[in-house]
Amino acid sequence: MVSLHDHEGELDRILKRVGRHTSFAEVMAEGSHGETVTIDTKSHRATTSPRLAGAVIRAWAGTRWVEAAASDFDRASLDAAVEGLEQELKNAGSIGPPPGISATTVGNADEVPRRPMRDMGLEREMEYARDLFGWTIAVPGIKNAQVGVVWWDDERLYLNTAGARCHHTSCRVRAGLVGIAVENGLSEYDYTASGGIGGQEFLEEMNETSARAIAQSAIELLHAKAPPTGSMSVLLDEGTTGTFAHESFGHGTEADQFVRDRSYLKPLLGQMLGPESLTIADDGSIPRAWGSVPFDDEGHPAEKTMLIDHGRFVGALHDRDSAAALHATATGNTRRSDFLSRPYVRMTNIYVEPQDWSFEELVKEAGDGVVLEHWTSGMEDPLGGQMQLKVRRGRRIEHGQLTDVVSSMALSGSVLAFLRDIRGIGKSEGPTRIETGFCGKGHGDYLPTGDGGPYLLSRAVVGPA
Amino acid sequence: MSASRVTADTAFRVAERLEKVEGPWDVYAERSRSHELHFGGRGIEFVRGPIVLEGYGIRLLLPREGKTAIGFQASTDASAKGVEAVLRDAEGVSKYSEFPAKDVTLPSGVNGTPPGPEIVDRSVWENAPAALTEYCATLFAAFEGKKDVAISFGSVKAHRTEVTIANSAGLASSYANTAIEAEIAVKSSGGPEGTAPGEYWVNLSGRRLEPQDLPRQAEEWGRYASDARRAKSPPSGDLTVVLPPSILEPILPAALGFKLSGRGQLRELSPAVGSVVGPSDLTLVDDGTIDWATGSSPVDDEGTPQRRRNLIQGGKVSELLYDALYGSALSHPSSGSGLRHGFDFAAHRFARVPGPFTTTLSIPPGQGGSDQELIEAAGDGIWAQQIGWPSPDGLTTAFGGEIRIGYRIRNGKLAEPIRGGTIGGLVLAPAGTPSLLSNIVATGSHPVLSGGVLVPSLLIRPLTVAGDERAAAMGGA
Repeated sequence: MVSLHDHEGELDRILKRVGRHTSFAEVMAEGSHGETVTIDTKSHRATTSPRLAGAVIRAWAGTRWVEAAASDFDRASLDAAVEGLEQELKNAGSIGPPPGISATTVGNADEVPRRPMRDMGLEREMEYARDLFGWTIAVPGIKNAQVGVVWWDDERLYLNTAGARCHHTSCRVRAGLVGIAVENGLSEYDYTASGGIGGQEFLEEMNETSARAIAQSAIELLHAKAPPTGSMSVLLDEGTTGTFAHESFGHGTEADQFVRDRSYLKPLLGQMLGPESLTIADDGSIPRAWGSVPFDDEGHPAEKTMLIDHGRFVGALHDRDSAAALHATATGNTRRSDFLSRPYVRMTNIYVEPQDWSFEELVKEAGDGVVLEHWTSGMEDPLGGQMQLKVRRGRRIEHGQLTDVVSSMALSGSVLAFLRDIRGIGKSEGPTRIETGFCGKGHGDYLPTGDGGPYLLSRAVVGPA
Repeated sequence: MSASRVTADTAFRVAERLEKVEGPWDVYAERSRSHELHFGGRGIEFVRGPIVLEGYGIRLLLPREGKTAIGFQASTDASAKGVEAVLRDAEGVSKYSEFPAKDVTLPSGVNGTPPGPEIVDRSVWENAPAALTEYCATLFAAFEGKKDVAISFGSVKAHRTEVTIANSAGLASSYANTAIEAEIAVKSSGGPEGTAPGEYWVNLSGRRLEPQDLPRQAEEWGRYASDARRAKSPPSGDLTVVLPPSILEPILPAALGFKLSGRGQLRELSPAVGSVVGPSDLTLVDDGTIDWATGSSPVDDEGTPQRRRNLIQGGKVSELLYDALYGSALSHPSSGSGLRHGFDFAAHRFARVPGPFTTTLSIPPGQGGSDQELIEAAGDGIWAQQIGWPSPDGLTTAFGGEIRIGYRIRNGKLAEPIRGGTIGGLVLAPAGTPSLLSNIVATGSHPVLSGGVLVPSLLIRPLTVAGDERAAAMGGA
């Protein structure tokens, strides 16, 4: 893996060069490297993730940001990248200060896992994948299975002309398992995954028991009934609650949408949106969680930001621009997918805090409805405040009892109505489990984000998907 | 457009260092320069570019005990030392890879810049920043003076890419392309006190900037945004539905690409060639030769010339998609479908391992006539204009999502707008199981190129729709 410290001299030089033409400039350099193993019935494959490295240089041009990027640290590449920037800055004439407060953080945060993935080696990674595969495929009725293990080291160095210098490295690890059942030409599957920032410990969360459970679920789905359709009580499982917090609610709290008047939540700041038992927060500082970042890509340390506190909508996520426009402070949520992508206000780890309902009590309270299990995707609607969540499977609830397994579903409705209709929030035996997701801003710029929560009971529209 | 001369030679330079490597190998390289304009309601907010990315991927296909050991690695470092490190990585991982292909045959004989479809927008190639600035000026002008409708944010990105491909069979091919991505949020507000604003969120991809279409598109987008404000929940039930190209684009390639390719066939998850999957007049073609289509190129990412592939003919599966590797495993020549797919079509392709994927899925004109005629034929049902995200599932072919904007069809005419609720089902299923393809009752006569599809509107009877009876009773979604 490339060490960015080796290139600090060049990066300092280019920052100074651009800094001569502007009131503020910054550099974010990145290098990444890792490994992937995948296995199914027909093939197995190991790959090393690409040796990609480069830097992006951003500068304030008086009325807007300008930036350029290069996929090489050599002098010629960096100089070529900034030539256009310098011209833009010269054309801008007198340049005042940029919006917001420039970070001055100086820090180094190298996550060193107790058992690094790097030490495991491809052979043992493949053995691990073969075990999971073997346990899944051994279940009668399973036609195929896919196991994937991926990890990558990500190193980032942020410098700016206000004096910030933040360096961090982290290793994200994720293992995923899919069991596939086939009958009469129809396929069904179920999946599970675990991961976070750290090392081999995340792989141990998946074992023979979880592999067999996924296989059984895939077989059940072959004979599952179609889900009910229409408006009804919905009980979201932990992962689906996290996906709701992220996709349905969280995107509306990204304050760049407030500045554009593109969030249904903007006029509701300070108001009660849900029951007093409801608390939602974004926290990029949770140790080892998938979406955590020691420093964001504007040099601000990650922090916990309360979004809904005991039912009241109290906060939003800010970068320097939105904070300046809305008289707030940056919250450590400015993130770039990589050195080729622009910064946006993004979530880190968003979650619903657990309360005190047992699963049985929630099912009884639901009366008639459906449990939504094993989320697969969600879609935001920050202006309209509608929601869309999709899950792999579910269970009917009839007369306060769990009954039939039902196949994949989509859930929709108004987020505000959903929050208002929350009737119960489950308890948690331990810390909230943060799931491993990838989030786009709109239809691009994917990056790792975490989410989680307990079982949550409300009401929404459900249909097949 | 062959006039855009390719000056990049990355793959050829890397290939020179691989001459002593035994066994089939190939190198795919890209040199791209991208520019972007990001805007809000008040004009340009962020100017990006050049974003320069030059990289390559080396793939080794080493025969081992009747199978193939695959080694792959990619990098942005094409120096002698960099290539050595990449080769070392590729050889290292090949020890842990096994694929059931005996003798992989890589394409040969296509050298230089092969003839192909139009995929270079000259204005973008020559001066991308100026072309983007002009496009945005036209976009802003198209919304100027519009009452209660405006752009709230968006971006337009232009990529200029030179592709070079070389392999152990002597291939040394190159071509240029341009790619465009646009995201535009159109907002409707104002008017009656208390009415929530509405939005139509546009995502476009293509090979060229088409500012001449913007005035017409702005009218349409503004109308959808305005209609979203007064839309009501759809009814529930198995309904007659018209799906225009804007809906089919995010569904068809992702839902069908696995099942109708060697990836699915190898894993015994594809329908057999000859099996019935739709009405007898259904034809589905994968076509990598359509001018200005995002999936078009003179050769695929392995260097095999592009062509048309008849995936479904007469309602039956007739052909599947193969790259060199899957073709070898399944005793079938490559169909020119070896592509390096990912989240975005325009960049980073060099860092991905190729596999058989769709280019542009095309349904030829049918007898259903215009959209108006399809609506008349529907009688009573819904027109779905946009789904939040249909989340198509390649393994099951299931799709489904929330209706962001659509219209009720009553008495053969478009009626009130609808919004909310879900729509979904399977795209492809064995005979006897309802699916989107098997339930096509009329195919429109006017295909439209939209991202990865060239399709007309389809009349489907039925598809399952779930609405919110409670919201409908209250008069809103």
